[in-house]
Amino acid sequence: MKNKNIAIATLVLILLVSSSVGLSIASSGSETAKAGEVIYTIADSTGDWGYPSPHAHYPRGPGYVRMSFIFDTLVWKDTQGFVPALATDWEYLEDENAYLFYLRKDVTWHDGEKFTAEDVAFTFTYVKEHPSWWVDLKSVKQVEVLDEYTVKIYLKEPYAPFLNDDASTLAILPKHIWQDVKNPSEFIEPEALIGTGPFKLVDYSKTHGTYLYEAYDDYYQGKPEIDRLKFVKVSEEMASTALMRGEVNATDIPPETVEEVNGKGFTIINQSGDWNAKLMINHEKEPMSSKEFRHALAYAINRDELVEIAQRGHAIRGSPGLLSPNSPYYNPNIVKYEYNPQRAKDILESQRYQLKEDGYYWKDGKILELELITAPSMGFERVAEIIARQLGEAGIKVNVRSLEWKTLDSRVMNQQFDLAISGHGGIGGDPSILNKVILGEFGYSANYTKNESLNQLLEAHLHEMDEEKRKEIVREIQKIYAEELPALTLYYPKWYWGHDGSVDIYYTMGGIARGIPIPLNTLAFMEYKAKAKAPAPTATEAPIPGFEPAISLLVLITVAYLIKRRRKH
Amino acid sequence: MKTAKIGNYAIAFLIILSLNFLLPRMMPGDPLTAICGEEALVEMTPELRTELMHRFALDEPLWKQFFVYLAGIVHGDFGYSYYYNAPVLEVILEALPWTLLLLGSSLILSTLLSIIMGIESGWRRGRNSDKSLLTATMVMNGFPNFFIGIILLLLFGVYLGFLPLQGAKTPYSGLSGLNLLLDIARHLVLPLTALTLSQIPSSYLLMRNTMITTLKEPFVLTAKAKGLSEASVRYKHAGRNAILPIVTTTGVRVGIIVTGALFIEMIFSYPGVGLLIYNSLFMRDYPILQGAFFIVTVFVIVANFIVDSLYTKIDPRIEIEEVEHAH
Repeated sequence: MKNKNIAIATLVLILLVSSSVGLSIASSGSETAKAGEVIYTIADSTGDWGYPSPHAHYPRGPGYVRMSFIFDTLVWKDTQGFVPALATDWEYLEDENAYLFYLRKDVTWHDGEKFTAEDVAFTFTYVKEHPSWWVDLKSVKQVEVLDEYTVKIYLKEPYAPFLNDDASTLAILPKHIWQDVKNPSEFIEPEALIGTGPFKLVDYSKTHGTYLYEAYDDYYQGKPEIDRLKFVKVSEEMASTALMRGEVNATDIPPETVEEVNGKGFTIINQSGDWNAKLMINHEKEPMSSKEFRHALAYAINRDELVEIAQRGHAIRGSPGLLSPNSPYYNPNIVKYEYNPQRAKDILESQRYQLKEDGYYWKDGKILELELITAPSMGFERVAEIIARQLGEAGIKVNVRSLEWKTLDSRVMNQQFDLAISGHGGIGGDPSILNKVILGEFGYSANYTKNESLNQLLEAHLHEMDEEKRKEIVREIQKIYAEELPALTLYYPKWYWGHDGSVDIYYTMGGIARGIPIPLNTLAFMEYKAKAKAPAPTATEAPIPGFEPAISLLVLITVAYLIKRRRKH
Repeated sequence: MKTAKIGNYAIAFLIILSLNFLLPRMMPGDPLTAICGEEALVEMTPELRTELMHRFALDEPLWKQFFVYLAGIVHGDFGYSYYYNAPVLEVILEALPWTLLLLGSSLILSTLLSIIMGIESGWRRGRNSDKSLLTATMVMNGFPNFFIGIILLLLFGVYLGFLPLQGAKTPYSGLSGLNLLLDIARHLVLPLTALTLSQIPSSYLLMRNTMITTLKEPFVLTAKAKGLSEASVRYKHAGRNAILPIVTTTGVRVGIIVTGALFIEMIFSYPGVGLLIYNSLFMRDYPILQGAFFIVTVFVIVANFIVDSLYTKIDPRIEIEEVEHAH
């Protein structure tokens, strides 16, 4: 009997300890909202994107966005293109190969200090010394402070992406705080979040994946009309439900729910052309090393069917030149590889392949058989199955194999594959991305350096400061790339956001900063539209009346019963 | 005897520590590319790569990394997370209480429920209530726990809408005291139910079977013959004897329930260690994986140790033997 009591006591103790520990953690970090405040809540399925300082957030787009509410850049972008931020004006001095930035004179840091050209110069030097994920300042030679509010940045050689990739991406740091920081990514003191941006961070929870910001009263473009901005974690599957219930004001939503959400009166915005799914072709390996063979693959794949069936219409057909029709650099006059299985067969036959009774091509006593590797995400497995069938119909036997994403990446990088389905974003921003995804050595890069004129053009467009001439070069790049076909862009998926209309969120032209395709531009949060515009939540969050009291009562009765029983014994 | 047992635990512990170190590193892909993943916008410049390699000590030979890892554990230092950019212990300790809350209460609840259900079912063997309970449990046993989770989430969260969709508490709700407690309880209901339901069948079947065997023992007949009340015979005499195998398997179940929690935490976005392991696997965050597996290991070993010592203590036959010796 005694031992039984000990056992029960132990169990109860464990329960109590675990729940009280849970509570003590939970009760910290709660923030109460004041009455009459305008609160805007945004859902995110991952939640945690790191401490929102320029050097500590996780190296992904959403991490940068969390940071961009607190920090400013010299130049920013809206729906139309570049707009002033910390710099009111800027010019490129051709004979000096330098950018001249005229800074705003009314900017203060969140701690009240004045913002000056010294901060800008400091940031450039600091980031050159402490490499950052987002900005590679290798093109910058020297920074010169001309006066308190003018700064001149000398480039090593003409560098066309500077304004987009550097000036509108590099978050300016306060010199008086960061000058003594040796290890920026581990600097997570409250001072690390002193910026010039429209919002200040109130709380961040890594565990719960939540962020809470409040408006900065002295923001140089006026105090934002949103008093509090919240990021909460909501799983992808539940996002639409949370929006329709009124738990959040804005969220990205799965394509399947677009109609339902729209029908409830919510605003839907969509974006495509930043991300592309690609068929990676191992151009180092027989028979894919033949350009004509790669053409045959492209003719045998019906990209329209991929869009209609695998993506259920929520995508745009891929252009073999990589850039999407939505890009200002898009070239429509390239070889398109319209679906033509007969042409594919003709090419194969010209390469001495012979069609046998089994329906597949053979050469030198060997069947034409390829392995297509893919990963179980973003509907890639569906895409792979359809491609395998389409190629099979053209006489190429394809075996699909699904691997874990990182395994796929490393196999593509080490060229241990025939065909693979992969993808990457960033093609909606500056075309400098082309150099990375054509020449680079990444799992998503074509890793193709065999064509000399392609290599030269890729180098040339980076240094062409004349925008029109640059566009021409980039169009030529797409033409050669499509002809060489080291990889085939299959489609550009459409991404949707739903929101209640109380803030006019929008997709930034060319993406936020370097090209982040998330419609949460800080500028949108300056203005709050009348609350009445927001549709009423469709379901009440309130529990069924009496649900909680009933539960409590039940617990009480059980406890009383147990105590009574124990007394009886 | 006792030292041999502790020796066994130590050996098991060392083997697990080595596996924790080796297994994550045997996965294809390296953490540096995993950190930025498919984010093509970020630049992994050669300088940044060198700096990170050095900071994460990935440029050291494997044996050296292993010794640093072992030495770190001795000092209670689990290293620095590649992805979360924070000390491993800090990241894990923030997630641990939620897992303890979920796992602890589920372990207790499922054990108690399966014991009671098993006793009642065994006592009523062959009757309709036994048959229907058995069938219901067998059906439930066929569903994986995440399936039960999804069904519950759809039913109570989405359609009826009176329980939260995910998380462990309402963010920035400003609640405190009892209201905060109720908020956490409301968030706990669905994951706890799903995890508990999936844990019940195996223990219930075990309990029911031992109960049936125990009921055939002579001492049960004696107890009945003494004219004891039915409840007393059922719980104090038969039930208490039949409970032993359940206690033994509880130690094993701790390991299983951790795996189960991984799925449940994913479905309900419950911020526990399971979700952390899942994310860290994708990020190839070796230090977090090592740390999280270490914590899980410690829990399973400690649970088994407790069960081992509890087993001999609550075995009534040992008590009887001692009493006989005293005579």
